[in-house]
Amino acid sequence: MNNSILQVDNLDIFYGPFQAVKKVSFDVRPGEIFGLLGPNGAGKTSTLSAVEGLLKPQSGNITVAGYSIHDAPLYARANIGVQLQATSFQPELFVSEVIQLFAGIHGVDMPKEKLHAFLADIKLADSASKKFSQLSGGQQQRVSLAIALLHNPPLVLLDEPTTGLDPQSRRQLWVRMEEMREKGHGILLTTHSMEEAESVCDRIAIIDHGKVIEINTPEAMIEEHRNDPAVIAASRRGKITLEDVFIGLTGDTVRS
Amino acid sequence: MQTIIPSTSAAFKALLRADFSTQWRNRRAVMLTLIVPLTILISWKGLVSKLGGAYVLSSCIAIGLTAIGLMGYSNAIARDRDKGVFQRLRVAPVAAWSIMVSRLTVQLAMIVAVTLIVFIGGFYFDKITITPQGYALGLAVAFIGGAVYLALGQAIVGLIKNPETVNVTCRLVYFVFIMVGMFGQLGMLGEQIGKAVQWSPYGTVQHILSSGLRPETWDIQATYALLMTFGYAIVFAFMGIRWFKWSSK
Repeated sequence: MNNSILQVDNLDIFYGPFQAVKKVSFDVRPGEIFGLLGPNGAGKTSTLSAVEGLLKPQSGNITVAGYSIHDAPLYARANIGVQLQATSFQPELFVSEVIQLFAGIHGVDMPKEKLHAFLADIKLADSASKKFSQLSGGQQQRVSLAIALLHNPPLVLLDEPTTGLDPQSRRQLWVRMEEMREKGHGILLTTHSMEEAESVCDRIAIIDHGKVIEINTPEAMIEEHRNDPAVIAASRRGKITLEDVFIGLTGDTVRS
Repeated sequence: MQTIIPSTSAAFKALLRADFSTQWRNRRAVMLTLIVPLTILISWKGLVSKLGGAYVLSSCIAIGLTAIGLMGYSNAIARDRDKGVFQRLRVAPVAAWSIMVSRLTVQLAMIVAVTLIVFIGGFYFDKITITPQGYALGLAVAFIGGAVYLALGQAIVGLIKNPETVNVTCRLVYFVFIMVGMFGQLGMLGEQIGKAVQWSPYGTVQHILSSGLRPETWDIQATYALLMTFGYAIVFAFMGIRWFKWSSK
């Protein structure tokens, strides 16, 4: 029996005649941080949008906790916690109102005491009556992540969550992700930071030109490609890193 | 971990509370919606006896409805779409239609508020009184008129993605509706334009409002205007729904 919390099989996504995603398959297991890495335009966002149910693939299957995102979208989405890349809450709403909105949508009871405890947990007890737009980048990220988790979803999707964060906030988020993993959440993470992928991901998939090139643990991937000429050429300080492997596999041409 | 699907009513209630809070915090936009109808009510005081109270009220309500659909609703939708507010809601277990119905419910409340404020302003500034049936029918017809402008606003955000372009287009259409509509109907822009305005979205809404406020004057022309109003609402709504994209990216 398949115990994956997210199963993506043979995903094909087209934009007109252009095929952005080609037969992509991978799975995310409970208690695992799975990184989806790729250069700009590689097909990461399209794949993630299909998992979120925002984009309908031309073919392939996506199941979340056993529910098809196509046939049972509400059930599938009820099992997902999402942190999108962009700030995505109504700027007029107070932090407490944003939390109550998503609690209501997810059917989570959020009386005042629970709300205070919720905010205290993310060290924002004094910010309940601040507008979301008045928070710092790190604070916004904490609220956004906490909202993604408020219904205790088995699968969490994090779309470049550390972009624009200072090192302290980034480290704090990594700790948070590791706590989520320990609690059994499966996490699908997209990132451009190879340092992040190497530090927190249990497995990674490198995707380029719409295809999955390789899926493995970061350590195994480095070990496997350590002696590839392209990887050695990409190495800047002698020691082979995941970034060198990534450049070796996807090339050093800047993508638009 | 258990899958919890909230009831549609619970999710809708949460959306509605957030949308009403957003509208309440945008009080300046609400004031802008009211400022032109109230200015007309005050400045047309001397014309009430010549034009008739129902005509003055209906013109003010029509302009207020135009502002709701073109200035308030469409700009809010364009901005939230650009910020990704809709995408964030759509990845939650909530039906897409309930996101939009919640938004529209707030606008219906705005239609009621604007219509009642014009009625009160008409009485307060111009001593305009009509029959209770007129007030009731006027309010009912305001919903139909409001639907045309909401649908027009939806069509604009359906056809244009960029929020700045939506804003400029809406302001332009609003300005044209007020200037050409109002002055055209008063015969100040010539007979041809006057006739064109009569069957424009502005003219038909103003006509059914005017007849609705005086139910005893409702005639076949008013019925044609009502049918035209429904037609505009359907066409604009079709365009707005058909081409609407949840994301501006």
